[in-house]
Amino acid sequence: TTHVLLPLQNSSSFFSRAYFYSSCWFFPSICGLSLCPLVVFFITVLTTLPGTELRLPDTQIRFVKSALWYHGYGRPELYRLPSDGSAGSRELLLAFSWLLHRISLLEQLLARNRVRTGDETSVCMCEDDLSQSEKGTTEIAPEYGPEDRVDVRYLQWLSGRLRFQWRSLHAQHQEQCKLLHKIHLLTTGCHVDQILGHFSVTEMDLIRQPENYKQLVQLLELETMQLEAFLEWKQREPVYWQWMVMTQMNFKGCSLLKSNKENLPCSLFFPPPPSIQVKTRAEDLQKEDFAATVRKIQEAVELKLLDLSNLCAPKKNKMHGLCRLVRSVSKEPAPAVSATEVIRELQMREASLQRELKQLREECRQRLDEIAEGLDGVICISP
Amino acid sequence: MSIVTVQLGQCGNQIGREVFNAICSDVHGTHGLCSKKENESYHDACKERFFIEAESGVPVARAVLVDMEPKVISQTLSIAAKSGYWKYDDHSHFCQKQGSGNNWANGYTVHGPRHKEVIMNLVQKEAEKCDRLGGFFTIMSMAGGTGSGLGAFVTQCLRDAFPSSFILNHVIWPYGTGEVIVQNYNSVLTLSHLYQSSDALLVHENDVIHKICAQLMHMKQISFKDVNQVIAHQLGSVFQPTYTAEDGLHYSRNPLGDLMETLVPHPEFKMLGLRNIPQMPENSLAYSTFSWPGLIKHLRQMLIANAKMEEGIDWQVQPPRPGSSIPSSHSTNKLLHFNTSIANLVILRGKDTHSADLGSFRDPSLYTSWLNPQDAFGAWKTPRAFNKYEKSASLVSNSQFLLKPLDNVVRKAWNMFASKAYVHQYTKYGIEEEDFLDSFTALEQVISSYTIL
Repeated sequence: TTHVLLPLQNSSSFFSRAYFYSSCWFFPSICGLSLCPLVVFFITVLTTLPGTELRLPDTQIRFVKSALWYHGYGRPELYRLPSDGSAGSRELLLAFSWLLHRISLLEQLLARNRVRTGDETSVCMCEDDLSQSEKGTTEIAPEYGPEDRVDVRYLQWLSGRLRFQWRSLHAQHQEQCKLLHKIHLLTTGCHVDQILGHFSVTEMDLIRQPENYKQLVQLLELETMQLEAFLEWKQREPVYWQWMVMTQMNFKGCSLLKSNKENLPCSLFFPPPPSIQVKTRAEDLQKEDFAATVRKIQEAVELKLLDLSNLCAPKKNKMHGLCRLVRSVSKEPAPAVSATEVIRELQMREASLQRELKQLREECRQRLDEIAEGLDGVICISP
Repeated sequence: MSIVTVQLGQCGNQIGREVFNAICSDVHGTHGLCSKKENESYHDACKERFFIEAESGVPVARAVLVDMEPKVISQTLSIAAKSGYWKYDDHSHFCQKQGSGNNWANGYTVHGPRHKEVIMNLVQKEAEKCDRLGGFFTIMSMAGGTGSGLGAFVTQCLRDAFPSSFILNHVIWPYGTGEVIVQNYNSVLTLSHLYQSSDALLVHENDVIHKICAQLMHMKQISFKDVNQVIAHQLGSVFQPTYTAEDGLHYSRNPLGDLMETLVPHPEFKMLGLRNIPQMPENSLAYSTFSWPGLIKHLRQMLIANAKMEEGIDWQVQPPRPGSSIPSSHSTNKLLHFNTSIANLVILRGKDTHSADLGSFRDPSLYTSWLNPQDAFGAWKTPRAFNKYEKSASLVSNSQFLLKPLDNVVRKAWNMFASKAYVHQYTKYGIEEEDFLDSFTALEQVISSYTIL
């Protein structure tokens, strides 16, 4: 899976800047960590012929370990693997399979690499405890060996760098919003589709440089190939799991079975999630079926939501995912959610996160005071 | 990416004008020593950073001018417009009909709050004109009366109004034997307040620049204008467009962010010093050539030995050899002679920068024990020469450069405070003795943190 970064023109014209922004994935990933390098890594390792030497940069190994840890992979043997990638292909195979099942790795990649012609932003109006992405994360620290002691000033340094990087990102994001707004404003009334009303950046760019349509077509062809490959994989997937069971069955003490919260039949390691039943007959594998199962999942989620009594009584539009940004002045209700609703939702989220932060800080302060009391000649002055 | 400059007080406005002058004349000069394409990129990047295109075609500086008196501001506006190359926005300034005395407390507790809304409206307008707000650059003196008190207040307002923006305060350290008797009080109050709201304090010492003018530029009668022009040249050498190590294809669109990330992520260490070489009278430039190894060697020794200019460097001072010294003499050596760094940023401009080797700045013995050079050293480069210097190297350093001056100022202020001299001038406007004590405590903490590196 690749994406094509169209070349940025040398002049700082705002059109080229806007297009540059729209062709990178600017918005924070739903899963928190980039998936493409993860998959590339696994494919590299798993397709290396046995006997050939494979030396990997240790940053790559560390990235993979932290990505797995983030998603809640609890098997300590993986985290004890050496950093140069010289051993552990079996553990990696297990981890890869776990990811395939647990976070629907391939489906997520497909969703992320979709060709987009509109300007998009991510919207999440789900309730926190039902959010798909957060289900997999964990607080459990992996069983690393004892680390070297680190100077706290260094940690503060790193924390400060993160803070500044976030600020730079924020400023870039604000610039993108400004540029999008300008384009939407300038092209109002131009679009064939009355509901949309104006161009997106990609559409704008195609008007200005029509020869770029070739690249767009290439991207669409690539996407089609990926979808076809995915469908082929889905056909053969049960074979993969059977093979895994057969070859890994003598893997004693596999703690993964215990860490999985669902009730699993013992014959398979990780059965596919019960809500997605993909038919194996080739004729039935069509995209419409896939969309139907997704719709079924959405309905099930909404039912669960109705059961829960919430702080906010009024029924809201529970959107989740990527949406096209449209500047609209009409009052027509479209299958859409308004910016004011999203802003209100975010403000509520922000308030609840602030409350949580305050609470955590208070707890931290109390813990520090307790520790300081136990030490001689130490006074704790909290900020 | 655009920087909004806030010029505060007489000092801030005069220096600010020289800075925009230096930037503009650099961009319009024909001495770029690079390809036309490179020159155009540089020009575009510089324009976006500091100016707005106006209908008249004359670029307008992205700046807000603040002073209590009208005289300096009107001078600043007219001198800029006369140049023909650039100007200030006619509406982007604030001043009162009359001045208000040399009093820090007056500026901080009276004038600041009174005029906060007007001033922040001007700033907001400038910020909105930016497609991308890269941060704020304030220029002020540390020890003058109203400018420093008002400046501290305005910085706080900036932080409140723009919590996720970068704020860099350029601060002028007064002459040691300055004319304002309470300058050390003002300095202590200014620094302690800025430390809370600002991300970094970039310091220029008047004494040092004066010496540069006398010894390096061979000036006989040194005016404030001369000093300000040297300061402007040094600032220009840092903030004109460059390429960072990560992206060699486009001029950086986030200079303040890059600088902050390299030098001041730790909230306790915000004091930055600036060195720039070579520095010489303009008429000598044509007859001098420099090599990168020579320049880099000198700059490195200036860092290690805490030299203020490229003459009179103490070449005896060397970094401590790992594991060789006895702890007590080791720390004495460090305190008296060797300047320990937290982080450094080197900026190279001009011919053959690609061949310049900065390995000597990556020596771990230069840096404090808890940081290694990968984290603590950054380099920016551009082949485009700056301000007629064929080769120019600047160093922005977060190190013990300012430890001694800071210690001196705090000590003198404390001695004065012990007898409560002149304190009534401050309590009259609501700055109580307790506020003084808070400021002293804060600065003692900073001094201690820098000492035990």
